[in-house]
Amino acid sequence: MADVRVKGRDGSERTLDANGALPLMEVLRNAGCGVEGTCGGAMSCGTCHVYIADAWAARLPPKGEDEQMMLEALGDFVELRPGSRLSCQIPMTEELSGIEVEIAPAA
Amino acid sequence: MGVINLKQLLESQTLQRAPFPVPVGWYFIDYSENLKPGEMRNINVFDQEWVLFRSESGEKVGVTDPYCPHLGAHIGHGGKVCGDNVRCPFHHWEYDTQGWCKSIPYAKVMPPITKKAPILRTLPTVEKYGMIWSWYHPLCEAPTWELPYIPELEDKTGYAGNRRGSWTANTCIQEIAENGVDVAHLKFLHNAPMIPPVEATYDGAKMVLNIGKGYIVGHTYAGGLNVMRFTQTDPVSGKAITATMISYSVPLTHDKTQMNMSFRHVDFPAGSPELAFTKKQIDHMIGAAEGEESAGFESVDFIVWNNKRYRPNPLLCDGDGPIFPFRKWFSQFYVNADLSKL
Repeated sequence: MADVRVKGRDGSERTLDANGALPLMEVLRNAGCGVEGTCGGAMSCGTCHVYIADAWAARLPPKGEDEQMMLEALGDFVELRPGSRLSCQIPMTEELSGIEVEIAPAA
Repeated sequence: MGVINLKQLLESQTLQRAPFPVPVGWYFIDYSENLKPGEMRNINVFDQEWVLFRSESGEKVGVTDPYCPHLGAHIGHGGKVCGDNVRCPFHHWEYDTQGWCKSIPYAKVMPPITKKAPILRTLPTVEKYGMIWSWYHPLCEAPTWELPYIPELEDKTGYAGNRRGSWTANTCIQEIAENGVDVAHLKFLHNAPMIPPVEATYDGAKMVLNIGKGYIVGHTYAGGLNVMRFTQTDPVSGKAITATMISYSVPLTHDKTQMNMSFRHVDFPAGSPELAFTKKQIDHMIGAAEGEESAGFESVDFIVWNNKRYRPNPLLCDGDGPIFPFRKWFSQFYVNADLSKL
């Protein structure tokens, strides 16, 4: 069981339980946090953009080329931060328990 | 009573008619005049369906896989040409002739993959000889050779003749092309007066055949193009006259081939004996020449092609043509594409 500490678009904060190494996107989507995850993890829709708190961002697997390209394309519509990630690319392992995530605005 | 050799006697039961995939190469798709600006239609070649279209400007021709990478609609049923692109009917995603996705009318952000690479399979396609040609490779590799210059089809003056034909053979291209080196059949199937000598030389995708010491010189480019020049002396004028058969076959499936041909000759003056002679040469190639003992391909080859099976281990004798070097050369055009390993 891993905890995810989420700050929603309206500023509200909650803590979710992540079971069994799901992608973070699915944890957020299942909990109704406003993450759509339309493309199912193919990095083609950009609807699972989140801001990871700095302390946690460095502990994640690095961004691939497709994720980087999608984030840059999203930058035309919404703010990017150093912790910007597509949450579909982050497997929620035990080691990430306590991760702090803010849902980015929709493009 | 000899020994019963079961391998010899029973092998034919395991033979297939055409045990090969579609060979790699350039293939004729259609005559350029048959595809108008803005036109789109479905075609069946290379064991599958494709969408053929011409841009509205008329300058670009595309041959694409039918199924939209988005949600799988068949682009050729209800789609349309928009400018340089073909548009899927389902959500109006547009693709250019190279398969790049050029427009998704409702997406704020184009998926990054659309900027990196084509997402719809297309075939490299050119227009040459007044025809549309596409390059087929089962794993989408780029062309490795270019279509050659053919003066009889490309020069503005000097040549004439508008005879064309199209036939379908129920076998693969290799079996059809093998007849070029099988000179013994010319005597027995076609009634040629003798078995002519043949020299075959191979250079990459090209084979040059010299049959009967210059009587027929053929330039074959993989499976899809064969230019055969027939040179004979006209008994009236005493001149050596060359007529040309350009054959451009396309695999409809791995075991069904559409053979297309154009026949061209030197542009001799109307009413000249040379013109009469060269027209008779062309009749003879096809098989309809009056007063000829021998028979062109139309009248005799199909019955063999349509019914034979490919023997990987043929029983050849002295006097047969150089079958094995031909088969070795042709094998370079086969690529085994195991799609389960992509």
